Amino acid sequence: MATALNALFEILSFTSIMVLIVLGLGIIASMMGIFNFAHGEFVLLGAYFTWFGHAHGAPVWLAMVLAPFAVGVIGFALERLVIRRFYDRPVMAMLGTYALAVVMRETVRGLIGGLYLNVPAPLVGSVSLGGLEFAQWRLAIIAITLLVILCSWTLLAMTSFGLRVRASLENPALARASGISTKAIYAITFTFGAALAGLAGALVVPIFSLFADLGLRFLIQGFLGVMLGGVGSFVGPILGAGVVGSASAALPWVISPVVADVLVFVAAIGVMKLLPNGILAGRRV
Amino acid sequence: MLNGGRTGPAPLNAGAPTAPAFRRRLPLVEWAVFGTFAVLPFLLADFLTVFASRLMILALLAISFDLVYGFAGIMSFGQALFFGAAGYSVALLARDLGVSSVLVVLPAALGVGLALSWLVSSFLLLGRHPPSVTFVALGTLTAAFAAEELARSWYYLGGQNGIPGVPPLTLGHFEFSDLAFYYLVFALFAAVYLLCRALVRSQFGLALAGIRDQEQRLGFFGYRVDTFKTIVFTIAGAIAGLAGGLYAYHEGFVWPSMMGVVLSTQIVLYCLFGGVGTLIGAVLGVIAIESATYALSEQLPTIWPVVLGVILLVVILFRPTGLIGLVVSERERTGDFGRPGSVAPRGAPSDAA
Repeated sequence: MATALNALFEILSFTSIMVLIVLGLGIIASMMGIFNFAHGEFVLLGAYFTWFGHAHGAPVWLAMVLAPFAVGVIGFALERLVIRRFYDRPVMAMLGTYALAVVMRETVRGLIGGLYLNVPAPLVGSVSLGGLEFAQWRLAIIAITLLVILCSWTLLAMTSFGLRVRASLENPALARASGISTKAIYAITFTFGAALAGLAGALVVPIFSLFADLGLRFLIQGFLGVMLGGVGSFVGPILGAGVVGSASAALPWVISPVVADVLVFVAAIGVMKLLPNGILAGRRV
Repeated sequence: MLNGGRTGPAPLNAGAPTAPAFRRRLPLVEWAVFGTFAVLPFLLADFLTVFASRLMILALLAISFDLVYGFAGIMSFGQALFFGAAGYSVALLARDLGVSSVLVVLPAALGVGLALSWLVSSFLLLGRHPPSVTFVALGTLTAAFAAEELARSWYYLGGQNGIPGVPPLTLGHFEFSDLAFYYLVFALFAAVYLLCRALVRSQFGLALAGIRDQEQRLGFFGYRVDTFKTIVFTIAGAIAGLAGGLYAYHEGFVWPSMMGVVLSTQIVLYCLFGGVGTLIGAVLGVIAIESATYALSEQLPTIWPVVLGVILLVVILFRPTGLIGLVVSERERTGDFGRPGSVAPRGAPSDAA
């Protein structure tokens, strides 16, 4: 029982990370119609900046707070310079963002070498709750993710800015005709998505440690989450990320991790084949 | 790019009646490339001959990607899957059964590529719902990623280290040394190139070009678009398999990244750099990038991959027709289909070929 609960807890914390990544990936895919292959590298950059701050004497928590902003700035610059040329050209976007990903990944590889670098968690130790021990840092990850989801949902659903974002997502032509600058909305959304990926990177680096190929695994799982949940809604990708994230975190408790990975991938592709519009198809949320 | 960035009309009638007669440059490029490869071993040091056979093998892989993307518009991020799987198969044949005869190895590599790509494409491309471009791209990407993970942890396949000690290729008692292997690769490369050239310039190729540019319209005409796509994907998979089998014998070992995402995407970028939609463009892309990497990665080990990424980004943004676009015109890049005169597309000049 205790192991089961602990497993559940680990699964939850990993799923939280996936949700953070997919939140950005999903909204970029829904709004601009492109799959951002550089998203995994934003995660990597978030992890790198956290390590960089820590290595230069800043407290880890401060580095973690600043990393998403730094990644956001990079994301904004890339959107203005490169990404905006790819909107509504999905194939070119994949290739172009992949080239961007290569640039970022190889830069980080050049900076850190082929090493695995560790960053300590800002919260060490565990909380005991009803006789069970929970690692504090994983609790914090879950809490931060919930907070981020709540904030983005409030932003999208309750504010006039959110209304403009949803308008640009649903019908960009009509949004432009109504005086909304979709260009600006796209730039802000992309920056926000990049920053969220950076946050995810900052949060996972104490658990996974920093290495140049950190992003790829998250990227593929994120894509599967987005496709599974269905492009075009806010809740869909989060749900998809939840499914993919929890499946790939839960199965290794039962079968060998590699078989679990492959199984999750095959199952996700299979479901997509049957439900091309995602598991929420038809029920627009 | 062919189906992404085009703003004008579909290229089938790119040769409008008013287009002046032009001199063909593509055959010149082709002759130059194949002529160079034919005499290269006499001009270069031995170790560079080995490098040149590697170029031709990778060029085969690039041709296989070019067939699916450049000619049929299927975005495949998993060509290395067939390459690597065939490589592993022939390495296993050599290790467990002691078979290294060229008469067994090459058909086996071809067959593995063919079977695997048929499986993948019939799952991804056929079915009730026509698949979206992103679905196919992500499906192939995921397949390559999963295969690499499997190979990395499967003890039978050697895990991280792969399978070392692939012996030289044999034919009876004859062993293919560096030079003989080079000419074997060259012969296969030339044969595959000519076959593909005939394929994409046939009426089948015309249908493929139609699918690439206006899939829905071709569907309305009554073409079974999915079947065409599956066929070309399977042919390309067989070519990738052949290349993988050769590569295993070229390197003397196989390792997990041979079927991974990184190699798959590298091949995509080679093709883009050289110019998709012309077979020779894919070959040129491999030659250009691999040679530059060979020359520069020693001096600039950390900077070079970054520079390469930037170059590719610039090509994708500003030169979607790639290197070959610098040499040949749009009109020639599109090409003609079938026998001249008899079934020329509407508007094609009679002196087209």
